[in-house]
Amino acid sequence: MPLFKTPFNGYSVKFSPFYEHRLAVATAQNFGILGNGRLHVLDLSPGPISEIAAFDTADGVYDVAWSESHDSLLVAAVADGSVKLYDLSLPPASNPVRSLHEHTREAHSADYNPVRRDSFLTASWDDTVKLWTVDRPTSVRTFKEHAYCVYSAAWNPRHGDVFASASGDCTARVWDVREPGSTMILPAHEFEILSCDWNKYDDCVIATASVDKSIKVWDVRSYRVPVAVLNGHGYAVRKVKFSPHRGSLIASCSYDMTVCLWDYMVEDALIGRYDHHTEFAVGVDMSVLVEGLLASTGWDELVYVWQHGTDPRAP
Amino acid sequence: MIDRSAHAAKHLCLGNPFFFFFLTELGLIYIQASVCAAGDSAAYHRSSVYRDDVVIVAAYRTPLCKSKRGGFKDTYADDLLAPVLKALIEKTNLSPSEVGDIVVGTVLAPGSQRASECRMAAFYAGFPETVPIRTVNRQCSSGLQAVADVAAAIKAGFYDIGIGAGLESMTANPMAWEGSVNPRIKTMAQAQNCLLPMGVTSENVAQRFSVTRQEQDQAAVESHRKAAAATASGKFREEIIPVATKIVDPKTGDEKPITISVDDGIRPNASLSDLGKLKPVFKKDGTTTAGNSSQVSDGAGAVLLMKRSVAMQKGLPILGVFRTFAAVGVDPAIMGVGPAVAIPAVVKAAGLELDDIDLFEINEAFASQFVYCRKKLELDPEKINVNGGAMALGHPLGATGARCVATLLHEMKRRGKDCRFGVISMCIGTGMGAAAVFERGDCVDDLSNARKIETHNLLSKDSR
Repeated sequence: MPLFKTPFNGYSVKFSPFYEHRLAVATAQNFGILGNGRLHVLDLSPGPISEIAAFDTADGVYDVAWSESHDSLLVAAVADGSVKLYDLSLPPASNPVRSLHEHTREAHSADYNPVRRDSFLTASWDDTVKLWTVDRPTSVRTFKEHAYCVYSAAWNPRHGDVFASASGDCTARVWDVREPGSTMILPAHEFEILSCDWNKYDDCVIATASVDKSIKVWDVRSYRVPVAVLNGHGYAVRKVKFSPHRGSLIASCSYDMTVCLWDYMVEDALIGRYDHHTEFAVGVDMSVLVEGLLASTGWDELVYVWQHGTDPRAP
Repeated sequence: MIDRSAHAAKHLCLGNPFFFFFLTELGLIYIQASVCAAGDSAAYHRSSVYRDDVVIVAAYRTPLCKSKRGGFKDTYADDLLAPVLKALIEKTNLSPSEVGDIVVGTVLAPGSQRASECRMAAFYAGFPETVPIRTVNRQCSSGLQAVADVAAAIKAGFYDIGIGAGLESMTANPMAWEGSVNPRIKTMAQAQNCLLPMGVTSENVAQRFSVTRQEQDQAAVESHRKAAAATASGKFREEIIPVATKIVDPKTGDEKPITISVDDGIRPNASLSDLGKLKPVFKKDGTTTAGNSSQVSDGAGAVLLMKRSVAMQKGLPILGVFRTFAAVGVDPAIMGVGPAVAIPAVVKAAGLELDDIDLFEINEAFASQFVYCRKKLELDPEKINVNGGAMALGHPLGATGARCVATLLHEMKRRGKDCRFGVISMCIGTGMGAAAVFERGDCVDDLSNARKIETHNLLSKDSR
């Protein structure tokens, strides 16, 4: 499968839930430490990857999420703390359609509600998670309980009011937006937790990825011991993602420059390791529309799209 | 504050003291897990089927018969256990050699002798020599402990299929202390209280928590009434394995073969006025009588557990899922309060709340402690021991836990989807309590047009 060279360092990739050939990539200049950012929307139709649109930002783009209700709408989490909405159907001059400035520090992740489809979450280094809807100029709610940066927030795939957050305070929390506070605190790792995701087939199973190099899978009903501990990455695990097609399949990427695939239900959990990146691998996604299609990006400024089981670098 | 480059650097420096410095500077301490405060923990697991769940595919028991006078007065203990073990294998068509271990809860018999008897019973039941067996003794909850031990071992991966059982012949092994008592117990009230006759602990509970004689007798009448109704409507037929044995006529000494298939302790016409005439046994002005205490009985029960993945592979129907187990300690002088402590503990450990539980089997060791636990936990009497309890059916100590599993799961099966979680609990002599949470097994109900659905419970409580 082909690859795409971005001018800046890759931070995140997301497949469109509407078009199987569409991929959004969040990038940031100078490894996201200083400089501009750019959001790419790529076309993966057979042949070389082409760019449909690109949007420049004043600071690095750390994450991107596709709207679940409109095929052209994107949410970007930007390092200056702003949350920007882009509409592909509008000319570049009209974009971003909205720029929401509430987070006081870097916005690190964005996730669109897959059940209600009207709202999205952003997680920020200002220790908060914010809930937004597309039609409101301000956030609906701020969830402030974490004692350190929140790196990721992910909606439960079945309950439109439930989400989980992963933080540098070494806890993951489960929230219900109808409740005043978090409904569960999971002291999941001894070190910072960088990412979390829900099992798409079992609404009580959650995976957390940590600086301690491990991924842990938890059952929120009996959270005292993890269901599985997935060891195999050589450095901090940056992102973890459950497969939309197989309940026990997990993809992850790490500072060890690899993308790994795991089946947490079996004993030899590591079922695939891809070492195609030459710098930190920080973004990974699995296509909802094409089973087994993976995308990854990293600080080597490359976006790879490949079918599981094939070599990402194969032309 | 930390700048962005430090962030990435920090993610890479596992165990760097710099990292801990940050944490302490920001006042971060290890944060304890707190139980779901949303109030509706069940919201997140309305449909959970795990391949590594420990499930119960079969649970059977013998009839329970009065010791020394009842149907099993001339039956050896191994002849009680063998039929239920055999039934598990026969009714599921499982190859007995696939069983990883058999654990038998048994209390009164001498340890090593009973272990040998159990081994023999396994041979009688048709198990090959390759299948091991052991006993466990946690007094009155031994049967439940056996089931929990097997579930734990399956979870731990020691084996995939196991049998938890219970066995007691109170005819052969009456309650007694052998040898002398260490005089040191006088130095410690708690140790001394371990020697109190159970009936005295019952009087203590009645007195300390003011449970009246009237309430106790009422509970006994209810127990008999419900047990009689269950027997009459054939409910126990699904769980009872008839036992072919012999009985000796005490006068003539004639031995004749007999098949026992019903519990013989139930008195359908027990009434408040009759029970009121009985004299207290343990204390002159006490409240505990032979009528409002559990009966002394003989019996056995057995439960077949396995990993869900194995059960699915074999196409076996899933009767229930073993969720969790808890044992707690209480004051030996009022050992009967055990369930009042154990039930909240186990329900919490399962991530549930008391009102998520649809059915309870709480062992009626004594009406005093049973009534106390029911009142203390504010449980709906309609949900407890719906088919009667130990006051009517009997309490063969080691077998009771396994008996309760059979009774509870078959009742949950009959009740269908409306009955999702069940709890079994009992008090334990010398001051303990044990409890376990079970979940209804099959995702699909048996077809029943007659069942009345009170309220729909398809959605979580949040949605109401």
